[in-house]
Amino acid sequence: MVLVLAIGDLHIPHRAPDLPAKFKSMLVPGKIQHILCTGNLCIKEVHDYLKSLCPDLHIARGEYDEDARYPENKTLTIGQFKLGLCHGHQIIPWGDLDSLAMLQRQLDVDILVTGHTHQFKAYKHEAGVVINPGSATGAYSSITYDVNPSFVLMDIDGLRVVVYVYELIDGEVKVDKIDFKKTANTQSAH
Amino acid sequence: MSAAAAVEASSTPRKRFSGLRGVRWRVDLGILPSSPSASIDDLRRVTADTRRRYASLRRRLLIDRHPPKDGDASPDLTVDNPLSQNPDSNWGRFFRNAELRKMVDQDLTRLYPEHHGYFQTPLCQAMLRRILLLWCLQHPEYGYRQGMHELLAPIVYVLHVDLDHLLQVQKPYEDCFNDEFDGITLPENNLFSNYKVKRASDWDSGIETENTHHIMSDSRSLDEIDPDTRDILLLSDCYGAEGELGVILSKKFMEHDAYCMFDNLMDGAQGVVAMASFFSPVVGSSTNLPPVIEASSALYHLLSIVDPFLHAHLVELEVEPQYFALRWLRVLFGREFCLEDLLVIWDEMLSSSNCRLRGDDAEYNFRVLCSPRGAFVAGLAVSMLHYLRSSLLATETTTTCLQRLLNFPQNPDTKKLIEKAKSLQEVALVSNMLPSSSQRDSNKGQFRVSSGYSLPSGSASPVPPLNVLPDGYWEEKWRVLHKDEELGEQSNSDQGSAKKKLAEKLGLYRTKSEPLKVKGALNRSSIRQILFDDVSSDIGTVENHVTTECCEAPINSNNLNVGDFPVVLADQRTSNWIVDETLLSGDNSVVFSKSVCPHGIGNEHEIDSVKSSVTSNSFLSDNDEEAFNMEEPRSQNASNELALDAEATSSRVADAVPEQRATPNHWKSFAGTFQWFWKFGRGSNEASRESQSSSDARHANKDSFDTTTCDGTDNSSGVNKRIEVGDKKMMHALRNLGQSMLENIQVIETVFQQEKGKFDTLDNLSNNILGVKGQSTAIAALKELRKVSNLLQEM
Repeated sequence: MVLVLAIGDLHIPHRAPDLPAKFKSMLVPGKIQHILCTGNLCIKEVHDYLKSLCPDLHIARGEYDEDARYPENKTLTIGQFKLGLCHGHQIIPWGDLDSLAMLQRQLDVDILVTGHTHQFKAYKHEAGVVINPGSATGAYSSITYDVNPSFVLMDIDGLRVVVYVYELIDGEVKVDKIDFKKTANTQSAH
Repeated sequence: MSAAAAVEASSTPRKRFSGLRGVRWRVDLGILPSSPSASIDDLRRVTADTRRRYASLRRRLLIDRHPPKDGDASPDLTVDNPLSQNPDSNWGRFFRNAELRKMVDQDLTRLYPEHHGYFQTPLCQAMLRRILLLWCLQHPEYGYRQGMHELLAPIVYVLHVDLDHLLQVQKPYEDCFNDEFDGITLPENNLFSNYKVKRASDWDSGIETENTHHIMSDSRSLDEIDPDTRDILLLSDCYGAEGELGVILSKKFMEHDAYCMFDNLMDGAQGVVAMASFFSPVVGSSTNLPPVIEASSALYHLLSIVDPFLHAHLVELEVEPQYFALRWLRVLFGREFCLEDLLVIWDEMLSSSNCRLRGDDAEYNFRVLCSPRGAFVAGLAVSMLHYLRSSLLATETTTTCLQRLLNFPQNPDTKKLIEKAKSLQEVALVSNMLPSSSQRDSNKGQFRVSSGYSLPSGSASPVPPLNVLPDGYWEEKWRVLHKDEELGEQSNSDQGSAKKKLAEKLGLYRTKSEPLKVKGALNRSSIRQILFDDVSSDIGTVENHVTTECCEAPINSNNLNVGDFPVVLADQRTSNWIVDETLLSGDNSVVFSKSVCPHGIGNEHEIDSVKSSVTSNSFLSDNDEEAFNMEEPRSQNASNELALDAEATSSRVADAVPEQRATPNHWKSFAGTFQWFWKFGRGSNEASRESQSSSDARHANKDSFDTTTCDGTDNSSGVNKRIEVGDKKMMHALRNLGQSMLENIQVIETVFQQEKGKFDTLDNLSNNILGVKGQSTAIAALKELRKVSNLLQEM
């Protein structure tokens, strides 16, 4: 029952002032064990805010991030799963599944979390999962129209991960759930 | 437990299963049937049922909280997502349970570290955790509060001990219970009726365990075992009623049993004392107070009946009962006693029934005192306070007092405490039932035993901190004194009607209170007797008593509250004095009463009659309360002074009216009263005393105290021989102090006498306020008494 938050592309303060109020009310400290942030926060205050939600914070560098010290890619292991984190502007074409799968094989992870497209996506392919949490603030993007604020919460429990998607559509929070099961541990994520 | 069963249990010399605490407690808590005719099979069936209930509960509440897997109707995701703020969501419950679990774990890791061999093992911890979590989930209105684990721990321990005992009992019979037949070789001689089972391994190794193998296995032999052992064996027979589920002493189902016992304890099983209510801040319906606060005030109420002096002292120090009583009550004294002692105490407590003694519509003052069990709890608390009495009275600040209370000594005499508690239990029950006639009386400015724990206001102020008083010494004296009073009353009826009536009323009031109130309440005397007996070992606070009296006399002339010894008493004091002396002769208790007597009650009506001397007997009875209180502080002072400053007082005395008191025989008789702490019945002295007191009163002046002291010294020396008290020197000093107290009191009395004119009716007493002059005189006398008390303290 490990709760992992995947969030990113907030573009505060350049493209959006803050998280939507409804999202903010849901994100309370104490429930979430890890945060994977795809990048483009962009300022330190947002970093501090995320840190207050959970002390275990992992950020990948987005192109507009003001802190240059974030890594380009990051991998970590939670429970039985290996997770990978990357902003996604490095993967060309942006948002292309095959390219992302290449990165996933490269990082050798079961779950890859990327962003940059400001659009929620969750793919399952072969033995891996690619998750794009979209933009938590709904910041505008050059490649996407009608950006809805969204983020992702993963519930990792043994060999099973339940992905909850929170989207703000027309002012209401809509939740969706996707189940992924991992096959036995010995197989690598190919 | 039904009342009948309770009665039966208490009256039978040996309770059923007395050797098995776990079973005994289960019977007491109402889980197992308590009637003596319940067969073993019945017990087994009931046990099995309770276990089934628990098992289903456990399954239901502790299932995986993970959202249901595929196949189930998908719950509404807007509600059931992990971040949902909705309190109904599964996830919300999950997080709340996680919180609960964290709190429980915090407490469990700190449970009984000294018994870590048992309580800190992971198995036990897991079991305790499950039980507590399940109970809290079943009772969400209470949640988990710190302390619940301490209520559960002795229960589990007791079950564990029972199992050990069972193993012990079973050991010689273990072959009977042995189900492993594979390795057994039958004896060659085919004598099945007396089978000796030798296991193959034993055979091979040649171990001859004759002793363990000679047990009968057939039912014929089973009858030959003594009934207790047989009961135990039948209780744990796997093949009895309900099979394994019915085995009453079972390791496998320890958790189930512990949960049931815990549940019953917390819920009170439709009884009165429900421990869970002690943890909840919800106010009770009738009292508008949280139950634990109400119970604390019940405790103080009982204390005020039993030992008003200590009560007054604690209230003066602003030691609210819940500061310490919260901990005592919430874990039923688990933190004050070591585990073994606690088990004994809980035995006693649980054997008292929890049923309400009277109907629902009967009036009561405190809910917790409505059942014997609750009354026992209150009684035990009061007896603990009483045990600490001397050191508590010695403390002067709230902090030190609380420190003393919260660090109960390690090895008290538990048996004694329990006995005292039992006696107080009856008092509590009785006091709870009577509608507060005390209130009526107290309205007269008498002893105010309020139903709340707040003491009447005036009592606190001028009481000097008292020295260590031996437990109940003064109570003893008081009792003796009162006994005399009663005798005296019968003989003297001068003061007659008014006083008697007052006395009657007060007596009514008195009946509810402890020794202080004399009026022949039989239960009083019995209780007093008990206290007396307790105290009889404590000797030597004669001086305390004396001092007390002295100190108290000048206090609060205006305030006739119980705690105070209205100075007004001084008026009667003389007569009281005499009377007291008389009483003293009869009673060991309040020797000082010679000085004190000014009991509030007496005061009221006494003021007029003051000098009437003999009649003061009745006063005494009335005044006993007051006098008692007064006596105590006074005695203390007196003793202090006596010890250190006998000379000083003597010198002071010199100024006084020596001639008045000088008569040695006067003083001797006076001093004799001291001795009468111990002896009974010196009626003859009364007369002489009375006359003396009258003369004293007449001549009373401020310095008279000193004189008294002086004379007292003389007398004391004479009296010394007669003193049976161990510490003659103390007696001497005490007597001196007492004398000086008497002096002071007399002075005050004089003052009052001057004011006497103002006091028309008894009822006006409380309203009467001494004139300024009189007051100053009284205050001076009070100061004298204080000095005396200080001296006594130093002693």
